[in-house]
Amino acid sequence: MSAATLPATAYWTPVIGGITDEPAPASVAERKRALEDLLRARRLQADAPPLRGEDRRRRPLATGIAELDALLGGGFPRGELNEIHGPASSGRTGVLLALLARTTGTGALAALVDPLDRLDPASAAAAGVDLERLLWLRGPRPPGCAGRLWGASGSGEEPQVKALAQATGAVATLAGAGLFDVVALDLAGADHERRRLPMTTWLRLQRVVENATTALVMLADGHVACSPGGRALALEPAGLRFSGSPGPACLLKALRARARAGRHGLRTAELVLAAV
Amino acid sequence: MFGGLHAPRALPDAGALVALARSFTPRVEAHGPTPVLLDLSGLGRLWPTPHALGKALLAAAAARAIEAQAALAFTRETALVVACACPGLSVVPAGGEAEALAPLPLALLEVTVEQQELFARWGLRTIGDLARMPPAALAARLGPEGPRLVYRARGEDAGAFVQAPLPERFEATLELDWPVEGLEPLAFLLARVLEPLTAALAARGAKAAALAVELGLTDASTHACSLRPAAPSGDPRTWRTLVLLDLEAHPPRDAIARITLRASATPARAAQFSLLDPALPSPERLAETLARLHDWTESGRSGSPQLVDTHRPGAFAVQSFAPGPLPRGRPEAARSAPRVALRAYRPPRLAHVLTKAGVPSFVGAPGVRGAVTAAAGPWRVSGDWWDSAFSREEWDVALVGGAALRVFLDRLRGEWFVEGELD
Repeated sequence: MSAATLPATAYWTPVIGGITDEPAPASVAERKRALEDLLRARRLQADAPPLRGEDRRRRPLATGIAELDALLGGGFPRGELNEIHGPASSGRTGVLLALLARTTGTGALAALVDPLDRLDPASAAAAGVDLERLLWLRGPRPPGCAGRLWGASGSGEEPQVKALAQATGAVATLAGAGLFDVVALDLAGADHERRRLPMTTWLRLQRVVENATTALVMLADGHVACSPGGRALALEPAGLRFSGSPGPACLLKALRARARAGRHGLRTAELVLAAV
Repeated sequence: MFGGLHAPRALPDAGALVALARSFTPRVEAHGPTPVLLDLSGLGRLWPTPHALGKALLAAAAARAIEAQAALAFTRETALVVACACPGLSVVPAGGEAEALAPLPLALLEVTVEQQELFARWGLRTIGDLARMPPAALAARLGPEGPRLVYRARGEDAGAFVQAPLPERFEATLELDWPVEGLEPLAFLLARVLEPLTAALAARGAKAAALAVELGLTDASTHACSLRPAAPSGDPRTWRTLVLLDLEAHPPRDAIARITLRASATPARAAQFSLLDPALPSPERLAETLARLHDWTESGRSGSPQLVDTHRPGAFAVQSFAPGPLPRGRPEAARSAPRVALRAYRPPRLAHVLTKAGVPSFVGAPGVRGAVTAAAGPWRVSGDWWDSAFSREEWDVALVGGAALRVFLDRLRGEWFVEGELD
């Protein structure tokens, strides 16, 4: 029996949490409205009324890059699942390190779950990250690996997918702890394995971070997931800039990228990342 | 009745004589490692005569390889002084204290050097000489200390018995009538053990820096683990969570019949943090969070990265995550230009690189492959010739697809590697 032929009651029961006595909405519009009401009620219950003079608006976490912050409406919002995605050499890691630098520079804590073990501490320090305030979780790396994710030892993809699942579990633990302002998950380069994870993974992460003051940021090769209130920052490489004509005795001066907020965002920003 | 124990020779352990005395009675007054005074009240039921009790004391000392001399008397002063003066066993009958002390040298009475010189000028050599002095006359010359010394010389006690404090051990054991399996029932039992333990610690103004867990199993074996969080904690819930998380990661092989917890006490932490800086997370919550990530923490793959003082490319260390307060006078984080970051391949990937006039023109490695459109370099780095030498030529290259890589030629091996992506 397909979902379309299911009776309305059976279709809605899991969504409305066991309230089976209510009559099922008839039309799609009514179903949508009921679902929105439920979501709104849950969000309103989660937020206690603010105290007098208390500013309950959560300030987004700025990256410290003026062009990007303007594009993102102030930065990456807290309590949301955000993402930075783009192909290799599009400046995604540079943007993430700028965010971590800005966050740790204010004295807050940040965590980076790095299942591929790609973080270069020297680059992070050069970007201004306070390394003492950064919790770095590095993925497992069996000896002798030299190929793709965790080595091309031919042991199958299951251990790699399991490691990614462990990484998402760690992200959930860190986001649920509420100790970190930013929890970042670096999935760039693991696109193939990432697709093997169930789609509910991202919904679960979104639910975990929903009422927290933590901003969850994912780094990926392409769009993975982003909560409705989150920001998706798409980056595209726009070439390298050298100190002279490329060749011996010249320096890599900068990496240029084009940033776009949202999957269908029209506004773009030019980004220049200086080489160390 | 009181007993004095004295070891005329050096003791193997400073607390050996006190431990020996405690094996007879908990009421022990220690005057340094030696002598010690025992309150023997009530021991007459076990040893009918003072001689039998004295012999038992000396036998116990001999069993512990302690050469001791003992004295039993009805006043504390007499028991202590006679024990220090007379070898073997001495028993002073009731009323015979002054007589027993009289022939002993005055130095045994613990008088100061000045008082000893004064008494020598007066011609007093023995305790008996001092005991015969009129207390009022001594009070006129020495003040209140004078009569006190005379009473002590007569074998009379001054002051109260000062019991040596028992060594503090924060340990709790729970024997279970029925063995338990699974973590859920164990959680309730752990709370029963941990709450009095942490209450005892709090009463001493202490917290537990570490907790040793010993679980007696039904197969007569023992499952032991030791927990040492980043910061001491006196919260039973935190410790319970840490114990349960550890048992979840390393489950015991059989049902649990006995729970023993030993806490290492440390003074409670007092730290003053800044009013204006963001509050740091409580050490308990941080320890709990890190314990939940035991898969990562146990393999040593989590912590704070730390740069090391070397020129070797890619060198770093990982230290345990323990953020402290922000240093004073730190400038506010300013907006700065974003930097290109290296996404490191660990270990670097062996690459096939074609060169044209010494400049890379093609790079092929697992996961990356393409013609080079632009290259900057070479940057030569070498060092550690005295240990494990490295020498390399680094190039930053742009490939046809738009990817930028850092490649290097290992000059010692003559092979090319891709160090990582520039991103």
